[in-house]
Amino acid sequence: MIAPAVPEDLLRRLAPQVLGALVRRYGRFDACEDAVQEALLAAATQWPSEGRPDNPLAWLIRVASRRLTDLLRSEQARQRREDTVARWAPVQPTQAAETRDADDSLVLLFLCCHPALSPASQIALTLRAIGGLTTAEIARAFLVPEATMGKRIGRAKQAIRDSGVPFGMPPPAERAARLAAVLHVLYLIFNEGYATTSGPRLHRADLAAEAIRLARMLHRLLPDDGEVAGLLALMLLTDARRPARTGPDGSLIPMEEQDRSRWNARYIAEGVALVTGALPRGTTGPYQLQAAIAAVHDEAPDAASTDWPQILALYEVLLSISDNPVVRLNHAVAVAMVRGPRAGLALLDELDGRLPTDHRVPAVRAHLLEMAGDAAAARDRYAAAADMAASLPMQRYLNGRAARLG
Amino acid sequence: MKYMILLYGSQQDYDVLAGKSTDKPAMTAEEVEAMHAYMGEYHQKLVESGELVGGHGLTAPVHARRVQLANGAPVVTDGPYPETQEVLAGFTIVDCASFDRATEIAAGLVNPDAKGEYVDIRPIAGGFDDIQ
Repeated sequence: MIAPAVPEDLLRRLAPQVLGALVRRYGRFDACEDAVQEALLAAATQWPSEGRPDNPLAWLIRVASRRLTDLLRSEQARQRREDTVARWAPVQPTQAAETRDADDSLVLLFLCCHPALSPASQIALTLRAIGGLTTAEIARAFLVPEATMGKRIGRAKQAIRDSGVPFGMPPPAERAARLAAVLHVLYLIFNEGYATTSGPRLHRADLAAEAIRLARMLHRLLPDDGEVAGLLALMLLTDARRPARTGPDGSLIPMEEQDRSRWNARYIAEGVALVTGALPRGTTGPYQLQAAIAAVHDEAPDAASTDWPQILALYEVLLSISDNPVVRLNHAVAVAMVRGPRAGLALLDELDGRLPTDHRVPAVRAHLLEMAGDAAAARDRYAAAADMAASLPMQRYLNGRAARLG
Repeated sequence: MKYMILLYGSQQDYDVLAGKSTDKPAMTAEEVEAMHAYMGEYHQKLVESGELVGGHGLTAPVHARRVQLANGAPVVTDGPYPETQEVLAGFTIVDCASFDRATEIAAGLVNPDAKGEYVDIRPIAGGFDDIQ
């Protein structure tokens, strides 16, 4: 009989806890992170044959600590040989005491999304240290060689080490900005998985699932934060449409033509509940607003019954807090749906200058011209948008729209 | 986002590298060595920055083989390019933050001493394009 496999989600769930315990005890995030990876690997290979220990967390911490001791010993020997000065110092007890009550996973997330790191490094480090993915798995998901991803993670850890950031919650004054960075990293991971148009789809879809898992974890840690709830809701409400987004031949299906019975009802219910719960609380941020817009779309039984006035109102609030050209573009669509295509078209002119190479501007203009009954101009704009789009499915979609207009 | 940086050369350029005299003077062993060292170091830096996905230099165009089909059967032409035709000579694939960063990387692959030399950058398909 084959021994039951170690549940991967158990190991992945425990990964940040093991890492937190180690860093808290020994400092040295970079070395601890390597030690935890080795402990996870040891568990994945040993538990199936030797049985799962009664206390998996304690087992992992023990094995990781042992590996860390080995790593530090060999490193010290090397440093003596190279006569370099060790940069690290043991964690001061006061620091440890201050952060004792904070959840380690949260502290680790802040660390991995530290502003000293590039977004690519933040993403890679978060997936490894918090997500418990191996370097090989992350490399596969991003379609780069394992060595490249290894370097990226190594550099990120080096940057954290050099910055001398203590292991602890960021000071209250920095907290909002640092949390925004964490949310942005999770959003980028989600987008990598969701918005891909080619490549090994399965692995990419896993990234969206991983982003949702991490956002769920963050929401558990910060249940009262409206933006955390908003981001999780936005991911769920967006991912809910994934099954209906492409046809069997891989072609793109726009939202108004999607078979809504294929949308993920469980995700929609969960996302709507999150938005509903978060909206009345405190200030409303951009993730909550985008989630609220997605919820209005997802709740409409068909495209025709979409509550556009509600969507328009939400875009107006969103515009008032972030003047982003992509938001303006979507706002113009909402205006067109409520007040007619000509009103929307009037808003597009200023966007040509702000997004001169973005295919979405001519695509939206084409759509609004089509609504206005100007088939010739619409066809021309669809064709222009197709020329600007980089992805083949998008080009095929836009060329198809142009061809449909004769 | 990934980008492929394409480097070009003609059979004549390869001959120059190989120390064969043509209408252009052949490169010395030191010059060739310096060029290889430069390319090696340059790519190593991209490895260190976590941006290099891969890359290869291609052998001289004279070793190329072209395959066509005639009535379903392959017909092979060896060395199909004219002597002076610029063909793909190598490529480097990087995964970096922006087209501008890829452009910066690519600029380092253009030989400043070779007048008129250029490289091309092509974004690799499958990157994300905003879809609802």
